[in-house]
Amino acid sequence: MKKVLALMLAMAMALSLAACGGGGDNPPPADNPPATTPAGTPSDSTPPSDPAPSGDKINLNVIISQYGNYTQEWWPTFEKDFEDTYSNIDLNIEIVSWNDLYTVVSTRIGTDQAPDILNIDTFADYVADDLLVPAEEYTSDELKAKLIPSFWSANELDGTVWALPILASCRALFCNMDLLNEAGVTAPPKTWDEVDAACQAIKDKFGGSIVPWGLDISQDEGQAAFSYYTWNNGGGFVDEKGDWALNSEANVEAMNYIKSLIDNGYCNANPYTDTRYPLQDAFNAGSQAMMIGACNMMSADSEVNYVVADLPTQTGTPVAMGVCDRLMVFDSSVTASKNSDEAARLDAVSKFFDFFYDTNRYSEYMVFEGFLPVTTDSSELLSKSADQFAVGGTGAPGDSEYFANFSSILLSCDFYPSSRSEWIDVKQGVIEAEQRICQGEDAQAVLDEIQARVAG
Amino acid sequence: MAKQPKPPVTIRRRLRGAEPYLWMLPSMLLMAVMILIPIFTVFRYSVSEISRSGRIKGFNGLENFKDVVSSPNFWHTLTNTLVWTVVVVGFSTVIGFVLALVLNQKFPGRKLIRALVIFPWATSLIIQAVIWKYIINADYGSLNVILTKLGLIDHFINWTSTAEAFFAWECWVGIFVTVPFVTFCVLSGLQSIDSSYYEAAEIDGATFWNKMFKVTLPLVRPSLTVSTVLNIIYVFNSFPIIWTISKGDPADKTHTLVTYLYKLSFTNNRAGQAAAVSVIGFVILAICASIYMIMSLRGEEADQ
Repeated sequence: MKKVLALMLAMAMALSLAACGGGGDNPPPADNPPATTPAGTPSDSTPPSDPAPSGDKINLNVIISQYGNYTQEWWPTFEKDFEDTYSNIDLNIEIVSWNDLYTVVSTRIGTDQAPDILNIDTFADYVADDLLVPAEEYTSDELKAKLIPSFWSANELDGTVWALPILASCRALFCNMDLLNEAGVTAPPKTWDEVDAACQAIKDKFGGSIVPWGLDISQDEGQAAFSYYTWNNGGGFVDEKGDWALNSEANVEAMNYIKSLIDNGYCNANPYTDTRYPLQDAFNAGSQAMMIGACNMMSADSEVNYVVADLPTQTGTPVAMGVCDRLMVFDSSVTASKNSDEAARLDAVSKFFDFFYDTNRYSEYMVFEGFLPVTTDSSELLSKSADQFAVGGTGAPGDSEYFANFSSILLSCDFYPSSRSEWIDVKQGVIEAEQRICQGEDAQAVLDEIQARVAG
Repeated sequence: MAKQPKPPVTIRRRLRGAEPYLWMLPSMLLMAVMILIPIFTVFRYSVSEISRSGRIKGFNGLENFKDVVSSPNFWHTLTNTLVWTVVVVGFSTVIGFVLALVLNQKFPGRKLIRALVIFPWATSLIIQAVIWKYIINADYGSLNVILTKLGLIDHFINWTSTAEAFFAWECWVGIFVTVPFVTFCVLSGLQSIDSSYYEAAEIDGATFWNKMFKVTLPLVRPSLTVSTVLNIIYVFNSFPIIWTISKGDPADKTHTLVTYLYKLSFTNNRAGQAAAVSVIGFVILAICASIYMIMSLRGEEADQ
């Protein structure tokens, strides 16, 4: 009898232990964005790979962020093809959603379980802790030659390049022309005054049933709104000398303009919490007339008649915004793979990148995810014949015109100053500033405070 | 050769004395691994300098605590946390108590109503919070749609135009999901009260309120104590409702300590400060729980 009891107790213990293990992670943010751009989709990540070295094989652990609903369908094929080609390399690819990515990565780094290769947006914090291998040490000459030079140098910090660009996207103004025409607006607005006029026309025509302008100043991507409006008013994060200049006059004006959009009832009711995903959904569904969004935000089944236009500007020259994510390589002292031969590991890393950026394979991935390539050969190929590759999920052929248009816009885009070590503070600071100003605080005072806090 | 002594009787007796501890060992181990080690880790983090990428750089004394208390957001968050705990626990205890009194009466359909009442508690908090987020959404939320269809409003109302409005809705959701727990705790207490007490009181001519304060309340007090103490802990530490509905925004004005420390840690990459906030929360909770337990234990002793 006692034995039975003991057995039952032991089982109960094991079960409760298992339960604790399963639920031990931090609760994920509950916002479940269903779309595709560099901040997240619901996670269905594959389990962490076994870090134990096997024989003489080189282990490479790779974390890839989830760019779309089908990301996890493309990479297993890649993994298999790669391992078939290089039988001495054991590649473990893990797809992690943007919702969990930062938590997963910081936990792994804190416990010396970092991946060998990580796909994420920023790297300055890792450089500050000496955790990264300089890109020159693993980038082959051929690869370096075909990366678009501005993307290569965008990853420079203190004279060293620390990461490779994986893909890019750019932002543009999307207008639902059926709604605009019905409200008597014939062309996408080019200036802030025209935006106001168009929003008022929509509001007068449709009342509350159509949201004129989508605005997102949430924690998710409030810094993007800051860029859209300050850059197109002659301001921005930094001045001409490259010093932080968050409290410039142009920025104050831009912040007050954002506030006026809310106060006039031109935008969605809760820009503080509405991320771009519900806004994209509303635009795709035809219940929102205009928004600034990512090049690939239109869903395949949307029936909205839309045009893509330049961002409205006050300076005469519209500034588009580009977003570029990165691939970086961690120092072997913090990685989980524990390869003894560092030279062999870096050689494997180098092979991985050459394999990934192969013209056809990389082009296929860009069409699959709907993002813009950062290599010259794939840009050329996709501008001409993207239709030989299939879009993830639908299997529809790629659209060469899309790649030709956006790839050319991309070259004139501005990017976040995200390679600087203060970036996270700046990003959080401007989001906080936007929200406080839109809640009624004085723009100049708030921006002065944020400037003093982040720039010292 | 000396004969081997044969003292197994005392050893066996000693073993028998140790037996309860042997049986408790697994749960002790479990508690050590799952509770004590994390608590120790958080205390260690709170006095360590931790880099943005999550590496411990060394001991830095009370630096994290100084950074935390010098931020105005922290004090606002602390006030919010107290308001949140008092409002949610207070209202849900009162409502839950009344509901339990009602459900303790015999009426047709009582079983169905009891099942319905437990619903908000039985569903996951995140699901509840997401549903409420959609209900109150100003652009397409069902509250606006229903009120419009009923003809009560002619244009959509922005229910969450200010941080205070957001926070009030979050408190409401907190109350909504906490009431069932109180109801069922009190109901279990009510059902254990022998009806003869009430009969005796009625014979003595007691009114409804006499019975309430002299019979019902003293007898369900243990259940109420349990539910209140547990609720203070649960509600104080509740993360999903606020994080789902507002993420602490607008402008960090709707945080409680838990969402604030989550944001510090995982959005702002300030793990040391987040640990400091966590320690402060732990201390507050430990003090509250101790005071309450001591008071209620004293009360019970006085009764005996």
